[in-house]
Amino acid sequence: MTSRRYTVYIAILIGLIIVLANTLFVVDQREQAIVVRLGEPVRVVNAPPGQTGAGLNVKTPFLENVIKFDRRNLALEADQEEVLTSDQQRLVVDAFLRYRISDPLQYYRTLRDERTAQDRLERLVNSSLRQVLGTASATDVISGRRAVLMQQSKVDVERRAKASRLGIEVIDVRIKRADLPANNQASVYRRMQTQRQQIAAQTRAQGEQQKREIIASADKEVAITLATAQQEGETTRGEGDALRTRIFAQSFGKDPGFASFYRSMQAYEQGIGQGDATLVLSPDSAFFKYFQYGPSGAGRR
Amino acid sequence: MPWNDNANPGPWGSPQPGDDDGRKDAPKRRPQGGGPRRPGGPGGPDMGAGFEELRRRLGGMFGGPGGGVRPGAIAAIAGLAFALWTLTGVYVVQPNEEAVVTTFGAYSRSEAPGLRYHLPVPIERAEKVPVTTLNRIDIGGTGTPDGDIPQESLMLTSDENIIDLNFSVTWRVQDAARYIFATRNPEEAVKAVAESAMREVIGKTPLDPIFTTGRGTVQLQVADLMQKTLDRWGAGVSIVEVQIRSVNPPQEALAAFRDVQSAEQDRDSAVNEANTYRNRVVNEAKGDAAKITQSAQGYREQAVREATGDAARFNSIYNEYRRAPGATKDRLYIETMQKVLARSNKVIVDSKGASAPIILPPDVFRPRAATPTVTIEPPPAAASGNEAKAPAR
Repeated sequence: MTSRRYTVYIAILIGLIIVLANTLFVVDQREQAIVVRLGEPVRVVNAPPGQTGAGLNVKTPFLENVIKFDRRNLALEADQEEVLTSDQQRLVVDAFLRYRISDPLQYYRTLRDERTAQDRLERLVNSSLRQVLGTASATDVISGRRAVLMQQSKVDVERRAKASRLGIEVIDVRIKRADLPANNQASVYRRMQTQRQQIAAQTRAQGEQQKREIIASADKEVAITLATAQQEGETTRGEGDALRTRIFAQSFGKDPGFASFYRSMQAYEQGIGQGDATLVLSPDSAFFKYFQYGPSGAGRR
Repeated sequence: MPWNDNANPGPWGSPQPGDDDGRKDAPKRRPQGGGPRRPGGPGGPDMGAGFEELRRRLGGMFGGPGGGVRPGAIAAIAGLAFALWTLTGVYVVQPNEEAVVTTFGAYSRSEAPGLRYHLPVPIERAEKVPVTTLNRIDIGGTGTPDGDIPQESLMLTSDENIIDLNFSVTWRVQDAARYIFATRNPEEAVKAVAESAMREVIGKTPLDPIFTTGRGTVQLQVADLMQKTLDRWGAGVSIVEVQIRSVNPPQEALAAFRDVQSAEQDRDSAVNEANTYRNRVVNEAKGDAAKITQSAQGYREQAVREATGDAARFNSIYNEYRRAPGATKDRLYIETMQKVLARSNKVIVDSKGASAPIILPPDVFRPRAATPTVTIEPPPAAASGNEAKAPAR
């Protein structure tokens, strides 16, 4: 009798466990869930934003199913895409999308699961980028307005996602790479090379220019220095000559007649009397006064 | 029940083979006691006996022959199991960690380092996150030429040049709960943001500053941009540092870039040469100038002194002359003439009455030093000859 009683207890226990397991379900902080009654979604648990219902939850056993989705910030890496900019330049653009499932009911109805969602979103992001970047020039994409364009793409993706009722919230669209296609890169390299060659030639020419400038200014300085010295020197010499003249004038001025005579005598002695001149003299010159006329020296002059 | 199957070798399993090799007396000990047990364990025999009894009682409970099962024993066992289960909630949070506790998956609290407790496992769980550890991501390759990843490292500058840039990002978890719950694959997210931010900043920077002065600015801008983006996502990540490890021109243009550097060297050396020349020439000119002025000053002094001397001499003579003007003048004239004529060739010609031009022999005009000293009596018509006197030198 006792063993049969035990068996009944155990059967009830097992039954309870099965019912409980079908009634209770856990939703992780990272997850959100929808409750589906006979294939029809009826309610949402822990959908962002807000903290609604993560933890232990209750549903009608057997009639309702639970489907869980990620609640976190999800990544979508779009494939590389060649984009034609408004100035007809090709750019290889590599972008990624960060999104979150914000309306799991819509998401479940439109996309069912994550793989479908990724495919759909990738197409969406690519076409949005083509459209947004197609209105901008290559320079804008590469530098000037990149942040603005990313914001525009974000808004555009958001709008399209809403229109298609995807049930997602777009957090960010970011361009990772925006590069030139491979064959354009070669021409960029060539241009960089020639640019550098130009800079190198210019630098060398500058060096030569500076060298010549320095040499020229040095030569100028030399010329000025020498000329100044010459000027000073001549002035000094002139001063010397002037002083000499003044000194002579002061002493010779006392008797110009005698001074002239005296100076002439000196000049004769030094000018002629050095043994290298031949004098042709006439005997009636003053020196030969006595030589010609005798002691009286009286000639008929 | 599995419990029965396991009970045979005893709760501690078979003796470990290592114990046999380690001690020589182990084989002697093994036969002792009711079942295999850990050698030397003090509580061994008692525990073994306890389990033996437990097995018997359990056997009785499930269809064993007639033995009375006491409900108190079951309650005791359940209580023990419950106590053990409760104790599994004790855990240690290391000093570099923060623990995030969830109750049935829902975030409940964060715990600081220390000995902590959470309700046992199906109810609460603890996830430990290293929050002070610095994580590093290398982007663009490992820095060596072999490890280079061109699609990560090549990027466009604002003047549409291409550079090869490797950098690393150091980051740490700032908010453990957000780090775990907000983002799927946070590490990949950080990397993607880093690439995107670096390209955005480089795309705004021209080529030359990246190689020289702009590096620090780029690093700061990228860190800032990354932090802002991650904060907007609520990722709970803090960017510690962005560091540019290497930045080079692309391989294809490297030679030209190097040539620019050597051109700069050439320029400097040309300037140096010119300065050398300048220093030499200018200093020489200064020396020459000094020579010119000095010699001019010398000339002036000389002129003044000579003049002063001559004037003094004249003055002396003049003073004497004034006493006897005529005699002095004659004397001076005759003395001078004597000196002049004594040293010169002389030809005395009396041209009076000569009807034809007098022709002198060419010997007469030779400098006196070069002609032999001869004395010729002058002929009446034309006289020529050299005075027989030694040169007064």
